[in-house]
Amino acid sequence: MRFSDTMLGAVLLVFGLAVGIYSQTFPAIPGQRYGASAFPTAIAIGFVGCGLVMLVRGFRAAPFPLVTRTEWTRKPGAMPAILVTILCVIAYILFARYLGFIPISLLLLIVLFRMLRVPWWQTLAFAFAAAFVCDFVFRSILLVPLPQGLMPRLPW
Amino acid sequence: MNAILAAFELVFTVDVLLTLISAALFGLLVGAVPGLTATMATALLVPLTFFMDPIPAVGAMVTCAAMAIFAGDIPGALLRIPGTPASAAYVDEAYAMTRKGQAEKVLGACVVFSAIGGLFGTVVLIFAAPALAEIALKFSSPEYFWMALLGLTCAAFIGAASPIRGMVSLLIGLLISTVGLNNPAGVPRFTFGSTDMLAGIDFIPAMIGLFAVSEVLRTIAAGAPPWDSVQSKVGNIFRDWGGMIRTYWPQQLRGNVLGTAIGVLPGAGADVAAYVSYAVSRRLSRNPEKFGTGHVEGVIESTSANNSSLASAWIPALVFGIPGDTITAIVIGVLYVKGINPGPTLFLFNPQTIYAVFLIFILANLLMVPLGWLVIKLARHLLRTPRRVLMPMILIFCIVGAFASNNAAYGIVLMLAFGVLGFFMEENEIPIAPCILGIVIGPILERNFITTMIKSDGAVTAFFERPIAAALGGVVVIIWLSLLVGAWRRRHANNPAA
Repeated sequence: MRFSDTMLGAVLLVFGLAVGIYSQTFPAIPGQRYGASAFPTAIAIGFVGCGLVMLVRGFRAAPFPLVTRTEWTRKPGAMPAILVTILCVIAYILFARYLGFIPISLLLLIVLFRMLRVPWWQTLAFAFAAAFVCDFVFRSILLVPLPQGLMPRLPW
Repeated sequence: MNAILAAFELVFTVDVLLTLISAALFGLLVGAVPGLTATMATALLVPLTFFMDPIPAVGAMVTCAAMAIFAGDIPGALLRIPGTPASAAYVDEAYAMTRKGQAEKVLGACVVFSAIGGLFGTVVLIFAAPALAEIALKFSSPEYFWMALLGLTCAAFIGAASPIRGMVSLLIGLLISTVGLNNPAGVPRFTFGSTDMLAGIDFIPAMIGLFAVSEVLRTIAAGAPPWDSVQSKVGNIFRDWGGMIRTYWPQQLRGNVLGTAIGVLPGAGADVAAYVSYAVSRRLSRNPEKFGTGHVEGVIESTSANNSSLASAWIPALVFGIPGDTITAIVIGVLYVKGINPGPTLFLFNPQTIYAVFLIFILANLLMVPLGWLVIKLARHLLRTPRRVLMPMILIFCIVGAFASNNAAYGIVLMLAFGVLGFFMEENEIPIAPCILGIVIGPILERNFITTMIKSDGAVTAFFERPIAAALGGVVVIIWLSLLVGAWRRRHANNPAA
């Protein structure tokens, strides 16, 4: 998904205005001229400036659709692939605590490998290897408290 | 002298040396896989460094980055796909040489001149950093304000295809840096009631998202197609070394000097150094007509430049705490976590740490030759690893890494958000590097601005009252004016009627 200069300019302008207006609600440092709002306001002015430059550029150039689909989005399966990947990470965030690291990462890897058409035997081999190696390195060696969930404690 | 001995004791232990070698192999592998950058290698290494002592942690990152920048040349020469952006400048040249059957010559040149370049940058680092630290001890808030602004200016405008898009990326980074309680006024900003966000946006998940997750998304969207088969067999890479060094030492030296100079600039890194050096090499060459047809001269000059810039990028990072490029930006974050605060006082109170870092730089560049040879030999097999297997595994590694940054699912949420942001930015040709530098430099800029204003009771002239501050301020103003004049001239050259 690619925004034209006009579209990007408009988004930046609105975003900059929103940031600028919201920044004015930050309390000042008593007795000082510049406080918490000074820096965000400067950033907001920068966004508005960039937005205006891009808007002007967009209007001067030949008319261009506001949003175009880039080459890869037209390929069948490209958009679903992105969605599935993002959903996988969301699924990890939501369910890892209940299922445990190894079960959820196995599920995730199997879904992604199959989506990329990795043969079944490779899918299972790589998924098991990756999940267990990751668990061993991070939980057992580096002592990261990866979620345990349903998974029984491993002997190592 | 005692400090130097202490540094040797810190570095030459089995643990540290093993860590260095593992990090070197990791860097070589990641750098040699197209699409995975040196910055990404460093970002993926960060979660592992939490569990190391400071010296092996920093050493691992130094070694990994140096190896990844060199290894980026390998797929460039064999497949015409640069492994890292720093190799993109001369990828066509290197590939043309491979097609002429000179793969061993070009890869040999890449190994030896990368190593020499890295050593040159290190020597400059060793001599320049303590001298600059003496000056930096005199710095106060106005000087740091100008240094930070200089870094941001370089980040947004040097080497950016479109300065306005570089600026947008920078502003995004700056805005991200304002989130949370950590500001001079101690007021929660842009937290929208979330307690997680009070502590600010954690830098490491953000990095992993911007650099690694966005690349995973892009590759998966394309269906993770396999690479073309590797063209040729690589012979003895050591054969042409003597001849090349004798013939091309002026080019090598020029590349080293230019690369080091660009590396020192806060905000401009190895990729910029390689592009500039290649262009300079072509302009000053006796046979510019040979460039692009498989001529080793430009490759030598730019591969010398990108590795030397890597070392000199540490000068502003160690001396001022202002990152020279995206890699040092990550390392600065790790240094703070490890209780080593970069800045001139580091040279006073912790000289052994500094000397240990220098030693590691030298070791890393010496290790590059044997390990580089090994990876070049293995490259044919390495480049056969299917990406469709690699990408899901990298995603899992990213998730664990983001989680490990503070052992909370919040890190993964951040990682995903930044992955999508990075993906969208790349789609719209907005560069990612300025955003990272914005996140790191933003707080330095704000803190020093507000401190100066409090000290001077709101008088803006305070930024020009001290001599060093006035000089730095003058440099920043001159750079801005020259950018404006340049843009104005270009416009008039494009439409003379207007």
